[in-house]
Amino acid sequence: MSIFVADEIAMNFGGIRAVEGVSFAVEPGEVFSIIGPNGAGKTTIFNMISRIYTPSAGRMMFDGADITNVPPHTIASLGIARTFQNIELFANASLLQNLLIGRHCHSKVGLLAQLGFTSAVRDAEIAHREKAEEVIEFLGVQRYRDQLIANLPYGVRKVVELGRALCIEPRLLLLDEPSSGLNVEETEEMGHWIGDIRRDLGVTIIMVEHDMKLVHMVSDRVLALASGRILALGTSSEVQNDPEVIRAYIGGAPA
Amino acid sequence: MIAPFKVSYRQDLLLAKTPAAKASYAVLLVALAVIPLVMGEFYVGELGGLFIFAIAGVGLMLLTGYTGLVSLGHAAFLGIGAYAHAIMLAQGLPFLISLPMAGVITAAFGVAIGVPTLRMSGLYLAISTLAFGSIIGTVLQKWDALTGGFDGFAVRTPTILGWKIQGAMGTYYTSLIVLVLVIWLALNILRAPLGRAMVAIRDSEISAQSMGINLAVTKSIAFGVSAGITGLAGGLYAHYVRHLAPDSFDILLSIQLVTIVFIGGLGSMHGAIFGAVFMRLLPQAIAMVRDDLPFGLGRTPGLEPSLFGLILVLVIMFEPGGINGRWMKLKHWCKSFPLHRRAASRRQKSYAKSERLR
Repeated sequence: MSIFVADEIAMNFGGIRAVEGVSFAVEPGEVFSIIGPNGAGKTTIFNMISRIYTPSAGRMMFDGADITNVPPHTIASLGIARTFQNIELFANASLLQNLLIGRHCHSKVGLLAQLGFTSAVRDAEIAHREKAEEVIEFLGVQRYRDQLIANLPYGVRKVVELGRALCIEPRLLLLDEPSSGLNVEETEEMGHWIGDIRRDLGVTIIMVEHDMKLVHMVSDRVLALASGRILALGTSSEVQNDPEVIRAYIGGAPA
Repeated sequence: MIAPFKVSYRQDLLLAKTPAAKASYAVLLVALAVIPLVMGEFYVGELGGLFIFAIAGVGLMLLTGYTGLVSLGHAAFLGIGAYAHAIMLAQGLPFLISLPMAGVITAAFGVAIGVPTLRMSGLYLAISTLAFGSIIGTVLQKWDALTGGFDGFAVRTPTILGWKIQGAMGTYYTSLIVLVLVIWLALNILRAPLGRAMVAIRDSEISAQSMGINLAVTKSIAFGVSAGITGLAGGLYAHYVRHLAPDSFDILLSIQLVTIVFIGGLGSMHGAIFGAVFMRLLPQAIAMVRDDLPFGLGRTPGLEPSLFGLILVLVIMFEPGGINGRWMKLKHWCKSFPLHRRAASRRQKSYAKSERLR
């Protein structure tokens, strides 16, 4: 059974149709990439899946349950994590605190217990810390643990954002342009991490990406979008050789 | 100054992380406990007032410094707390019940004002809290039957376990105890999930939401806790002024509270205390030099508020970290002496965020 299904989803902003009737299904354990020129509606689809936008039409199913109308803050506890195109970390908090915020959806201590910082809260905090440390080790960012995000280089921030999403212990991970702003080496490293996350943690990944090398390296299937519509869906090489996709990217004689 | 070797995650959850920190806070506490025995009544009274403003500062710091919500109506919470406490005392309730009750009532008001303002932020939130403040001010004036109107009423002198809370000494000790308690509560919040959620909302609402943080609930709780703490300060303030009148809870008081958190340094509990110290010392300093100022400047009306305003502007322009930021830089300078580099304390431009969804 597919882990995520988008059924004819559409998004209108006033008169602008950002996404028009897009359908696709993501299988458990695969890396599913979405490509397309600027303004194709890739990030809009992400914002719909993470429920920041409510689709104008269509339905979204995650793990057999309808998530078209759930409130945005429940998405994380359902098991969907995401990163952002331009990094939305908590800049005035340390790396560790950022990862711990990723654990928020797993925290179940009451308000009064927190006010008194009871031993139950302390034990829960230590359990969260252990989980966060696992992620720190997985990504190899130990030496930045107590540094403020505002003082970290861009490449490290990208990794931290990935780590924060992993702290949610997601089953579906949405990566919005994981390579943007990274140099060639860092992009390759990111590719290896995506592979590791899929292989070692068994997380299904949907990725929006422009770097075709990275897309080719990690994805099982690729969805090409243009102007809010599906152009092609298939393996990376199939999509890259699709005449419609080539026309959307570099233009061509009108059909 | 050397941090102890870390051997367990538990250590990172301690409030005082080094033996040196623990010792210095203990010394401070002991010093504060014996001050009234050696100092004159005037100073003890002033310090008591300082503690009250520090409590309110801690309350507003949680909201403005950690959750990123600016409130220009906190004088109203101070007023609600003061009136609620004084009225309950007058009804014959004991102090130990009426003060916490005043905090709870004010917290309820905080949640009530928090809910409709959830969709606002920045300037709009400031304006709506300002409106709330002036509404409460009017209610305190007009509701004669409950508040005594313009004339207000005298606050009853309460007793705790047979000990009369009166004079400078009484206010000093009760305020000190409440301040310590409130700081403890605030630090607990900050090391628990709620505190992290507040910081997350301050730094990026959109990703806070995607991390599973319920914006509406967290902001309401922040408003409630902040108002409740300010309400406690209000209850103590009633004893400090001894006679309640509605005009003491005006916009100027709100601005003084905002000044405390900005000048002290946003996003630090030390800042709330530093800010309160500064705010209470400045009028004293002005009073001291008033007669020696040239051109009769000392007798100019409005000297105090305009100085506050000027200092607030200067701090925001040149030291956004406030007094606490300066203090951290000084500590860093001492630690790294003589190897300090000026660039270490230079402000950095952060990466621009373009994808802003609100």
